[in-house]
Amino acid sequence: MNHTRRAALGSFAALGTAGLAGCLGGVRPTGGTGTDAADANDETAAGAPPTADEPRRLAYDRDALVDESLDGGVGKDGIPSVDDPAFEPVVESDLVDDAPVFGVVRDGEAKAYPQRVLAHHEIVNDVVGGDPIAVTYCPLTGTAQGFERGETTFGVSGRLVNSNLIMYDRATESWWPQVLATAVEGPMRGATLREFRVVWTTVAEWRSARPDAVLMTDDTGYVRRYGNDPYGIYAPLDGYYAAERTIFPPLSEPETGHPKSVVLGARTAGGAVAFDKRTLLDRRVLTGTFEPDGDPAVAVADATLSTGYVYRTSADATVEPDGDGYLLTGRGAGPEGPFEPTELPLERVLALDAMWFAWAGFYPDTGFAGEHTGGGYGR
Amino acid sequence: MAADLASPTEVPGAWLVGVVRRTAFAVRAALSCRDGRVTAAVVTLGYFALYAVGLGHLGLTGGTATAVNAVVVADPLATATERNAPFQYEPVALVAVGPVEYLFAPVTVAVGVTLAVLVGVTLAVSVVAWRGPSTCRIGAGAGAAAGVPGLLSGFACCGPTVLLVAGVQASAGLLAALRWLVPIAVAGLVATLLWVGSRVDPAAAS
Repeated sequence: MNHTRRAALGSFAALGTAGLAGCLGGVRPTGGTGTDAADANDETAAGAPPTADEPRRLAYDRDALVDESLDGGVGKDGIPSVDDPAFEPVVESDLVDDAPVFGVVRDGEAKAYPQRVLAHHEIVNDVVGGDPIAVTYCPLTGTAQGFERGETTFGVSGRLVNSNLIMYDRATESWWPQVLATAVEGPMRGATLREFRVVWTTVAEWRSARPDAVLMTDDTGYVRRYGNDPYGIYAPLDGYYAAERTIFPPLSEPETGHPKSVVLGARTAGGAVAFDKRTLLDRRVLTGTFEPDGDPAVAVADATLSTGYVYRTSADATVEPDGDGYLLTGRGAGPEGPFEPTELPLERVLALDAMWFAWAGFYPDTGFAGEHTGGGYGR
Repeated sequence: MAADLASPTEVPGAWLVGVVRRTAFAVRAALSCRDGRVTAAVVTLGYFALYAVGLGHLGLTGGTATAVNAVVVADPLATATERNAPFQYEPVALVAVGPVEYLFAPVTVAVGVTLAVLVGVTLAVSVVAWRGPSTCRIGAGAGAAAGVPGLLSGFACCGPTVLLVAGVQASAGLLAALRWLVPIAVAGLVATLLWVGSRVDPAAAS
């Protein structure tokens, strides 16, 4: 994958051209991960958010990410998180069918959070399936992600990096860029949050798949014009979500592809891969590789929710559609299946929707599969 | 100009007092005539409406509702003083009248009204002076120009998506500058009003 501007310069820096470091504006891909025992403090404040055992790939040095962070124009908690959300049965909602919602299922409990509400709050601190969690959304990068939060809550720091929301936890005040899920500043620096899957779908699809679900309402404790998204419109597509420009400078810019096209991204400790979402929904199966470590990956579509799932696979395994499910061939055996898109007997890797520029900015050496498509929300 | 003011370099205190007095006189005179009152009212209301639209506090619901509806937060007094951004505070009520809805944020309203009144009065003095016999190279555009930073400060909130419309990418310097738009607007408007007022000859106008 080719990138321009600072990321290209950064590649030289990574090759050891130390003299260029001063020209990079602090951005220097490192090929590292979130692991750093020297930074992560085991004796962080009581109530700190629970952390994951396996780190996520970081393509940049944490100091560089902090240096590249910008004041987004609002103060800390200037975009207030919702800490006491209210819900109604999804079957009783009067939202239009194609309204985007973020679906979560934990321990059998299904909830959905409307994009129209989260565009104004970005973080909802909630309890699902008995677990305290946070559902987070960054409108500028088109990313909706879920995190376990333990006894603390998350808030909006008011700062951005690569246009992406930097959250802070209220126990340690550490900074957590949402997409990275890794603390870049504060006592938790280097630690990685425990994530869970959030599905970007529509209210009609969620209602059809999970009629037992509840939907977050406008009763947030704040008053907002929830019908007015300050950034644009998804249906029909307009404003920031359609424009090729970004408001804030990206860490690096991909040479090809609409910056606001939607990819289904996944990352491990050693690499990242992106699947163009619209291509995935059309073709149903895409193969790619986590880069830079080169591990093979496969993504399968779930037409029910217009989403997809990503698995780490092996070079001799093949996945192909079979009816509504998928057949798995290889691994020394004949075809197995069909399997539901969420049930393939491979190692599933957490995936999230993201605007292409944001993914490529954070992971300039990411693998990519599919054809680049236009802006939108990947359908 | 007929009646001279004291020299700003030789007697700055007296000069400033003279300018303020003359401006106060000009404002009273402008608002005492119909043209001035109409100009002040229309411009003040228009400016405030634009400011509220820029903030995203005033707009259309997108629906076809015709009812009047209001939602107030649980603790309006505490909420009203929660700061969201420089010179912007938390709304305490959402009022919908038919297809129009308005977010009421008291402290933000105070900021907007201050800017709007300054623009309205400045333009009222400018218009009256321009149309009157004592005109002295006063352009009505001066007040409008001074109000631009205030309007931008409204559009610069929450995003700031105005930069996308303008085709400008945010930088740390630009974002820092945006924080100062409201104070710059107030300073510019006060300076413009004093300048406009100082151009009015009380003897000729009376």
